[in-house]
Amino acid sequence: MTMGEIRRAAPTRRRRKSFVERTIIGLAEAMEQSLYAEELAHTDGLLQKIDPRVKVVGMLALLVAAALSHTIGVILGLFAGALLLARLSQVPLRTLVGRIWVPVLLFTGVLALPAIFTTPGQPIAHLPLLGWAITAQGVSGATYLITRVETAATFSLLLILCTPWTHVLKALRVLQVPVVGVVILGMTYRYIFLMLQIARDMFESRQSRMVGRLTGPDQRRLAGASVGVLLSKSFTLSNDIYMAMQSRGFRGEVYTLDEFVMRRSDWLALAGFALVAGAAVIVDFRF
Amino acid sequence: MHIPDGYLSPSTCAALYAASAPFWYVAFRKITRLLSTRLVPLLSVFAAFSFVIMMFNLPLPGGTTGHAVGMAVSTIVLGPWGSILAISVALLIQALFFGDGGITAFGANCFNMAIVGSLVAYVAYRMIAGRAAISSPRRVVAAAVAGYLAINVAALLTAIEFGIQPMLFHDVSGAPLYAPYPLNIAIPAMMLGHVTIAGLAELVVSGGVVAYLQRSEPGLLKITAPGAVGEGDAEVVQRGGWRVARPLLILVAVMMILSPLGLVAAGTAWGEWSPEDFGNAQARQEIQAGSGNVAPPAAVPPGLAQVAGVWNAVLPDYDPFQSGDVNIQRIGYVISALVGGGLILLSFLLIGWVAGRMGRG
Amino acid sequence: MTDVVFDVQQVTYRYTADVTALNGVSLTIPRGRRVAIMGANGSGKSTLLRILDGLYFPTSGQALAFGEVLSEEHFQDDTFAFAFRRRVALVFQNPDVQLFNPTVFDEVAFGPLQMRWPKDEIRRKVADMLDLMQITHLKDRSPHRLSGGEKKRVALASVLILDPEVLLMDEPTAALDPRSQSQVVDFLVGWGGGAKTVITTTHDLDIVEEIADDAFIFQGGLIVAEGTPAVLLRDEDLLRRTNLIHSHRHAHADGQLHAHPHRHVGHDHE
Repeated sequence: MTMGEIRRAAPTRRRRKSFVERTIIGLAEAMEQSLYAEELAHTDGLLQKIDPRVKVVGMLALLVAAALSHTIGVILGLFAGALLLARLSQVPLRTLVGRIWVPVLLFTGVLALPAIFTTPGQPIAHLPLLGWAITAQGVSGATYLITRVETAATFSLLLILCTPWTHVLKALRVLQVPVVGVVILGMTYRYIFLMLQIARDMFESRQSRMVGRLTGPDQRRLAGASVGVLLSKSFTLSNDIYMAMQSRGFRGEVYTLDEFVMRRSDWLALAGFALVAGAAVIVDFRF
Repeated sequence: MHIPDGYLSPSTCAALYAASAPFWYVAFRKITRLLSTRLVPLLSVFAAFSFVIMMFNLPLPGGTTGHAVGMAVSTIVLGPWGSILAISVALLIQALFFGDGGITAFGANCFNMAIVGSLVAYVAYRMIAGRAAISSPRRVVAAAVAGYLAINVAALLTAIEFGIQPMLFHDVSGAPLYAPYPLNIAIPAMMLGHVTIAGLAELVVSGGVVAYLQRSEPGLLKITAPGAVGEGDAEVVQRGGWRVARPLLILVAVMMILSPLGLVAAGTAWGEWSPEDFGNAQARQEIQAGSGNVAPPAAVPPGLAQVAGVWNAVLPDYDPFQSGDVNIQRIGYVISALVGGGLILLSFLLIGWVAGRMGRG
Repeated sequence: MTDVVFDVQQVTYRYTADVTALNGVSLTIPRGRRVAIMGANGSGKSTLLRILDGLYFPTSGQALAFGEVLSEEHFQDDTFAFAFRRRVALVFQNPDVQLFNPTVFDEVAFGPLQMRWPKDEIRRKVADMLDLMQITHLKDRSPHRLSGGEKKRVALASVLILDPEVLLMDEPTAALDPRSQSQVVDFLVGWGGGAKTVITTTHDLDIVEEIADDAFIFQGGLIVAEGTPAVLLRDEDLLRRTNLIHSHRHAHADGQLHAHPHRHVGHDHE
């Protein structure tokens, strides 16, 4: 029930596909998405030029400002800020619409809709025929939720799209994530792709050998076995990786190179983020 | 199940980060001691594994498909502490790089799925599997029930977190700032989907994987099956199983009670509500509850409204203390929800226990 | 200084009580030799490499490197462990196992970072190594975005940066396209100018003469033959017996079945 799941589920409506096909499509999309993000992260835009640590901290500040707000105007102001950032960072509107706005509307919008009736408060209109009362509080509540979720999701997507993920990782160090945590995250991300590949190959080879449709119980057995195979491969893989690490001198402690240098423009950007987030919070308290 | 940013107030998020922190700390300490230098590769690969199985589109009885979190699978193979860390890392990667689940809500998602999910799965699995042999069908049943329970408890927690939002956080007009539905809508709405589809997905994948591992990699099932028949001194282990399980069960119960109370406290501290408004909203709510339905003109489907009605009947007026004081009412509301949640949990445990008995034969 | 790099005495290695990978193997490898270890899958050759790299330890018998015993206790000692890791490098058959870092740059820098070299020196040496292996353009790539040949070059760069004396290569040409295969072979022929010791396991018979001065043939965890590649490769009977070549049956146009010895070249047996 996440946005990603809705995205992944979307194409399956058109035609009934086997679970194997659907899983393959999902796995392929996950890989494509990250490829796209990597390309965009290397284009020449505003966010792309900023030190990743500043970006992580700054985006987090904007996210929190959006989460704290009690005023729809402030949330919309932050949303406008997100749009401006996207524009200056050459993130196409199409991407935002396709990856965030529409999925969020489909999920959160539909979820928030009944709230306009169920929230107690001042009735402002009645549905024809059914006579249900729409309350002012209900409409505000639904608006709060939708605008807030859209704004927050836009900020986090901008961060992901405009920063190579390896930089996001290293930038986590400024949030006091320990080195070992950063290394584990990096390795996890790296091996997600290998596992996606293994899972995909496994499903594709199964699919090529399947004749006709599998019965429900057979499908479930296949699914259980696939996860099981992946699990035992994981064990072998982690043992081999451990040996490869040892072979190059790994003794349990990890060391990394941190290469970020703060330039004047980065300090400026940091000030900018702080200003916008701070202003949002102050304006919010005033009203 | 993955809560996006914007559904929970910052103070709820902070409280759940704080609730998760000690578990992460203990898990990290325990796992480091257990794995020493192998920690990094093992945890990384298993977090990647957790991530990938969350993407599997599982075929369910009735022709639908669903996604599983794999809480029971990773708990059975890695033990509860390893599972907490592996799923947390997978969730962080989902939040940071794939936009599934919010960044501010990461603590909440970890608390619900990685922490409570793993612990519930562990306790249920150990209790039902007992000291059955590694190859026993009872272990398949135990895993299936553990998965089903874990996802449902996680969903219940999510629903409670959603459900307390409109009570604690609204603007001056009384409009809810975050998730807009109170507990009596949030819980049934959330549970309906999880008792059926999502629960089944977890059930299928947990049972299926254990069945597969029994045939081809029984060694992987050993961590959470100490003293399985044919694995050593059975008697010692029977006691050992309970010795390990009982404190964990208590821990889960305590956390369930503490975390929403903590949220209430946090809400007060943040001052994001005013008593007059709250009293107002509460009064309206009571009128509605008295009339036997959620809100007379409700847009919820009739079936759902009915479930909500049953809910109201079980826990009348959400005020067990029969007190007029707003604060007490508020706490009573949360406690009622938890008692309800606990009842669901208990009945699931009972079902699991009966199934385990049958599976043994 | 001894002139023997590895001295393996009656080494047995068991994975479990019933799975024996090596069954009493003895061999000596002098400094500066290029050695090929041939054998079908499951013959124990990869296990031997892992023992020589101090990753597995013999169940019985002992393995010495530079005159020192390779044992678990000995590797507890940081000084010994770092010195050994620096002198001996292993390139794994599966590059996905070896490339565990987020980017190519991090991958090549991993070894030096573990050795705690100064950071400036690391940056300089990594840049030189990337140039040498012609992979500078891949510096910021993730390993899952590399081709098979590129992965192999990165894997080589990641171990060569420590300038090891001994290079252990596990099936270096497996699963590579012909062009990448010949690049790897060219590298092995040229590397170190005769001063380095290279031990390569392979079942790709076509490369053996180019990359090795001596060869061993393994079967069932035992050494069944040793000699120069030229002599061993001529013994078709031996090669067939050890499953390095096999009779390949196929139907001809006239419908008759025909069998002849067949070499598997350029593809993997797995």
